[in-house]
Amino acid sequence: MTHEELQESVPLYAAGALDRSERQALEAHLLSGCVSCHAALKDYQSIAALLPLALSPITPPHSLKATIMADRNPAPLPAEAASNESARQSLEPGEWMNHLFPPVAPARSSSLPWALGFATLLIMAVGGYFTWSVSTERSVTTSNIQQLEASLKETSTKFANLQREVGDQTQSLAALRNELQQRTDETAETKERLVQREAELEEMRVQLSQRGNTRTVETPQDELATLLRVPNAKTVSLTGSDMAKQAAGFLLYDSRTQKVWLYSINLPESPAGTTYQLWAIHDKPVSIGTFSIDTGKAAHLLVKKVPSFVDAKAFAVSLEPSGGRPQPTGPIYLLSQS
Amino acid sequence: MDKPSQHATSMIDPTLLARVVQGDQQAFSQLYDHSSTLLFTLAVRILGNHDEAAELLQDVYLEVWRKVSRYDVGRGTPVAWLVTLTKSRAIDRLRARAARGYRATSSLEAGTAAQVADPGPNPLETQADQELRIAIGAAVAGLPQAQQQAIELAYYEGLSHAEIAVRLNQPLGTVKTRIKLGMSKLRDGLQQWWTHGELQ
Repeated sequence: MTHEELQESVPLYAAGALDRSERQALEAHLLSGCVSCHAALKDYQSIAALLPLALSPITPPHSLKATIMADRNPAPLPAEAASNESARQSLEPGEWMNHLFPPVAPARSSSLPWALGFATLLIMAVGGYFTWSVSTERSVTTSNIQQLEASLKETSTKFANLQREVGDQTQSLAALRNELQQRTDETAETKERLVQREAELEEMRVQLSQRGNTRTVETPQDELATLLRVPNAKTVSLTGSDMAKQAAGFLLYDSRTQKVWLYSINLPESPAGTTYQLWAIHDKPVSIGTFSIDTGKAAHLLVKKVPSFVDAKAFAVSLEPSGGRPQPTGPIYLLSQS
Repeated sequence: MDKPSQHATSMIDPTLLARVVQGDQQAFSQLYDHSSTLLFTLAVRILGNHDEAAELLQDVYLEVWRKVSRYDVGRGTPVAWLVTLTKSRAIDRLRARAARGYRATSSLEAGTAAQVADPGPNPLETQADQELRIAIGAAVAGLPQAQQQAIELAYYEGLSHAEIAVRLNQPLGTVKTRIKLGMSKLRDGLQQWWTHGELQ
């Protein structure tokens, strides 16, 4: 049904001329809150309730009141019990009463009692309307309060959840801060350890360096190897004389360290009471040092320190009496070629 | 009926019903005095039979006594509540009777127009009731006969517009229009009377 059709059915409803389905449709429409149909129904039903007054009054039998007064139950039923009764076929009075109000209009009459009567009726109607209105507003307010309460409850729950989340995050933050502090401590510790290690390393490097120097001094082989890499070292080879044709020698001279190295091979054994003596020859031979060759030994290395013989032109090895001689006296065994 | 002339039927005080709710027998007695003539008149109009109307009133007042706590002053005047209750129960009874195949005295034969046309002064009525009754009677009598008839068939016999159309052998739309126009005129006429103290 359209709204227009529903609106047109209002006077028919008040007269009681609608069938059941039409009546239910209009009641549903009124319950949905249509203000204009509600107002119209109020007007029409106030008229409908007065229609029996148009009938000629018929007085009920006198015995009726006594019968009715005798028939009553001891007391009226409470509202709860009454409301539980089964539904009737036709419209319940309560449903009709929803919209039963006389039109709101000032009473005016030539006679005072008449005016008073209608004024009272009007006051009752207006009072009734206000009671109904306040009751409706109260139910609306109650509904609003319930909605607000529900909303408040929901918000409180959300707030509690948020608080819990914030609490969790604060805990996580504290844990992270502790971890960071721990890492910082560890880093500082590591740095200290690193400095200590660097110090140890430096010390070890110094020790190593010192140890290296000591070894250079102590080990002739290492020194020879070093000497061979020195560019200004003088190299002289010596060959065996007629006394020892198979003998040969190799001489190194380092002016930086002022050391002479003589490596000889295949020199015959030096007989007892004699010794080999190395000579540097410039203008006259200058003794550098003596050495002996034991039995069965083919090679020998002699290292001697000499003050200066930069200008030496040749080198020679002679066999001299033990202890050596200031000048060569015995036969020459090795002689430099240049 | 005890001193009914002291009470206007149209002015039953809602506090009287509140006293009935408390089990006040004197209040219930007063309520009967205020309303029984109007309700009996209505019941006779619907049922067409004094004895059955008396039976109905017995039921109605018993129901009022038991269900008075359900009355809500915010939903209407006490008289409107009583009229509506009596009308509903009377029509229920009418329908139940129709289902049993019993044909009551025709309401049409009762001649509603005659009843309205000759209200006659009732010595037991208050002046307020009398003037209101005259005003409403005049408003109803002022309607075209067809509209008055359609409204009365609905109101007093509980017929739907479709049933009225069949009864009167008229198109449905015509019946609806008659009821709508009739109710509209009654409303306008009574509002005019309330406002200016006279009918249009």
